[in-house]
Amino acid sequence: MKSFLKSAVFSLCILGFFVFVCMYVTGLSGGGGGGGGATGINPEAGEAIYWGDGQCHTCHSIGTSGSATRGPNQEGLAARAEERAKEAGLSSGLEYLVESIVDPSAFVVEGYDNIMPKVYDAPIMLGREQIQAVLTYLQTLGGEPNIEAVAKYAEKIPEASGDAVAPWVPPIDVDIKEGELVFFDESRGVTCSKCHVLNGKGSKVGPDLTGIGAVQTPQYLIESVLKPSEIIVKGFETMYLMTNDGMAYNGLLVSQDEDEVVLMVDEDGAMEEYVFYPDEIAQMQKQDVSIMPGNFQDMLTTKEFYGVILFLLSQK
Amino acid sequence: MNSKKLNLKIAFTLFLAIFLVALAINTGIAEEHAEEVVVTEASGDVEGAAEEAVEEESVPYVEDEYRNFFGIDGRLVVWIISQLHLLFAAFVLAVPLFVVIIEAIGAKTNQIKFDNLARELTKLLSTAFATTAALGGLLAFALYGLYPGFMRYMTGVFHPYMFIYALCFFGEVFFLYAYYYSWDLLKTGKGKWLHVFLGVMLNVFGTTLMMLANSWATFMMAPSGIDMKTGAVLDRSAAFFNFLWMPVNIHRIIANVAFGGFVVGAYAAVKFMGAKTEEDKAHYDWMGYIGNFIGLAAFIPLPFAGYYLGREIYSASPVMGNIMMGGAFSWTFIIQAILIGMMFVGGNYYLWNGMARIKGAERYTPYIKYINIVIFFCFAVWLTPHNLPLSGEERALIGEQYHPFSKFFGVMAAKNAVVNLLILSTFFSFLLYRRANKGETMPFKSHGNGARITLVITVGLTVMYLIWYSMGLKGQDLNEAIRPYMSPLLTCIKIQIVALICALFLTFTNRGKLAQTLLFVVAASISVVYFWYYGFVLMEKANMVLRFLSVTQVSIVISTLIVNTVIDVFLFKNAKEVGGIQWGKIPNRAQYALLLLCVAIVTLMGLMGFIRSGLRMNWHVYGFMQDKSAGAFTPSIAYMGWVVALIVFLFLSLVAIVFWLGSLYGRKEKHV
Repeated sequence: MKSFLKSAVFSLCILGFFVFVCMYVTGLSGGGGGGGGATGINPEAGEAIYWGDGQCHTCHSIGTSGSATRGPNQEGLAARAEERAKEAGLSSGLEYLVESIVDPSAFVVEGYDNIMPKVYDAPIMLGREQIQAVLTYLQTLGGEPNIEAVAKYAEKIPEASGDAVAPWVPPIDVDIKEGELVFFDESRGVTCSKCHVLNGKGSKVGPDLTGIGAVQTPQYLIESVLKPSEIIVKGFETMYLMTNDGMAYNGLLVSQDEDEVVLMVDEDGAMEEYVFYPDEIAQMQKQDVSIMPGNFQDMLTTKEFYGVILFLLSQK
Repeated sequence: MNSKKLNLKIAFTLFLAIFLVALAINTGIAEEHAEEVVVTEASGDVEGAAEEAVEEESVPYVEDEYRNFFGIDGRLVVWIISQLHLLFAAFVLAVPLFVVIIEAIGAKTNQIKFDNLARELTKLLSTAFATTAALGGLLAFALYGLYPGFMRYMTGVFHPYMFIYALCFFGEVFFLYAYYYSWDLLKTGKGKWLHVFLGVMLNVFGTTLMMLANSWATFMMAPSGIDMKTGAVLDRSAAFFNFLWMPVNIHRIIANVAFGGFVVGAYAAVKFMGAKTEEDKAHYDWMGYIGNFIGLAAFIPLPFAGYYLGREIYSASPVMGNIMMGGAFSWTFIIQAILIGMMFVGGNYYLWNGMARIKGAERYTPYIKYINIVIFFCFAVWLTPHNLPLSGEERALIGEQYHPFSKFFGVMAAKNAVVNLLILSTFFSFLLYRRANKGETMPFKSHGNGARITLVITVGLTVMYLIWYSMGLKGQDLNEAIRPYMSPLLTCIKIQIVALICALFLTFTNRGKLAQTLLFVVAASISVVYFWYYGFVLMEKANMVLRFLSVTQVSIVISTLIVNTVIDVFLFKNAKEVGGIQWGKIPNRAQYALLLLCVAIVTLMGLMGFIRSGLRMNWHVYGFMQDKSAGAFTPSIAYMGWVVALIVFLFLSLVAIVFWLGSLYGRKEKHV
């Protein structure tokens, strides 16, 4: 028991030493932990962000403050920015600074790598106001801060992304590869690529879906597949055409001029072009119904449906 | 009678513990609902009407994103429970790894002492396993209860693997108990090897289990296979096999073995100090030696695995890498350096004390003071910070921001050099210990062709690795102005290759000691002296090449360690012993070194857990899902210190209780 107690006391002494070192280091580094910070568009707030949430100091030193060497030392930056702005044909040093933050690869200082992240994107995600605060701070490095001038560039600075985006996951477990197969599988009646081009593959009956995941939300895609007539992309409206001899056609308008009207018509699953001359057309009218079939819920299993949606979302 | 009293005491203690826990939980619940009760009582006279009103006003259920634990911050609760679970898990995963090896050695050499040791360690394992499982369950409840939104998403991404995890857990339980309870049944002949096989299967399931859980943690750091804007799962297997998964697996397996070894060492140390008989002292001294041997053997390559992990973190996210080494977490690496330095000093101190019980070791004691100086020097350099915030007065006195002398020790070039020197020195200590009671070496030729082939294969593989790495260096797409700075690295690798081949031929001509010396001298000259200097040159002129310098440095040192170990094994195989090892004749102060190693590695794991988890800053899933809870900020190092100390205290207390309970059965058997 005595030896156990001695061991316990010895272990506690080591732990005590560890806590002491941690407290000492906290005092030494001046790091009191996160949680707070200055606000507003002013150099004080900008300085706090520069050395804190903005992570700028992990790459840029300022004079003898900081030790990072990955990016240029920012001492005298405001004066240097004026010279570089002139070389680049920009109106002011401030514009140069804004450009450098908004598009870090626009001006890469010689001798350094193009490694600067976009600070308004994940994972840093500075807000517009925070970036403006940093700009005012940078102006103080060899110059005078001008908050009004910085405010004029507000629109040019993107707002932090990601905040409003809610995560979307399919309600059931699906395989993206299965979605791709369904999209391109020509052996079945529901082949999407019969009407849509994706990365150069497929037919141009409907809208080109290349990069659709980058511009559309999951909700939009789900609705567009299940209720195709709800939103019809401009230029892909269905045209109803009746000839003088009483024949009616529903199809996509390919072209229309004084000499002829060309319609793309579905003929038993195959899309064919029909040419009509003005003197044989009795009536022509845009329809509110999409040419896209509206019964995908019957033709696809739930798994296949969400697989296709997931596949489309991955197209960026 | 005594046994009966003891049982009654245990039963009473358990009852008291359960009662107090129940009371504490009940108090928490009572406080939470106190307000509701008051409101209900006040409205007692209009009970019927109130019931109707409640029905009418009932609002749809809205799930919280974050909760706290009876007023305690949810993050703190999860931090403590997860780290405790991880520490216990590290022990129960690591110990079977070396228990099976110890048992196999015993079976192969017919030495019962190895079998007894393996069995004793397994006994510790079986008692610790239940605690690990209980903590794992508690962690799951804490996560689902306190971070429901985050866990909903994680479950959505990983649910198929969670079922595999559960299956592996069953597998581990089955093989653990089969392994433990079949010890007597399968103790001879082929049965023994079947028993070893059960142990191997226990390790297979245990390691798989760890790797499954690792993927969840590394996914949070470096998510892949999902849409980073919407979170949609695009490729579940990519989410599992994410970028940091394998580096963390490698680092954790090695660290767990070191951890397990040092915990066993501390257990043996406490037992040694309390031992009443010479026989017990000898047994626990030997157990402590084995624990320390395993711990140090795994600890030596650990910095390399850590370096690999750090490098991959940089590759996965330069922002995260910068936060780690140049941002909010850079100071924690000073604390890490202190703990690792303490461990190297402690490990060496134990080895030197251990040499006192070996006849013949006095031949090597004069070297120890020099190794001591080298280790303390390395330690001092390692914990020198690059820059300290100086006051105006201090700056005026010095004349510049950095101290004119110490600034050369604070940079990475210096730290990398001393880490390699530290490893080489500890390895040298270890070689001295190995040969302490050995007389003249055996001629290499006496070991036959098997030894030759083994050495040729070892040298061949290390040379092939160095060639492969240098080809990679040559193929780097670098700026023409920077490219010339790579050539010294290539030249150094060539020199090391030549040294390795020379060492091979020297060993073949029975000059193995000279071969070992040659490799030590070449590795120290290149990796420590020259690269320390060249690191400064690169910092000034070609910063980009620095990362290649570090890997070259590590590659040269590790090739030396591997080849020198193999040479050493054959040098002293069947060598005549100068004197026996007097197990049990080791001073008590050496046992404190074992305790130091244990407490330091547990604390180190707590610290590294904080760093690894904290690097995500205010993200649950880095770059995709933000942590919007009140505890999203990075706490101060002082706060971290208190929490980690509490965790270590709880862990060591629980371990002591668990091991004590485990020992009761043995005591009863002895008594009978």
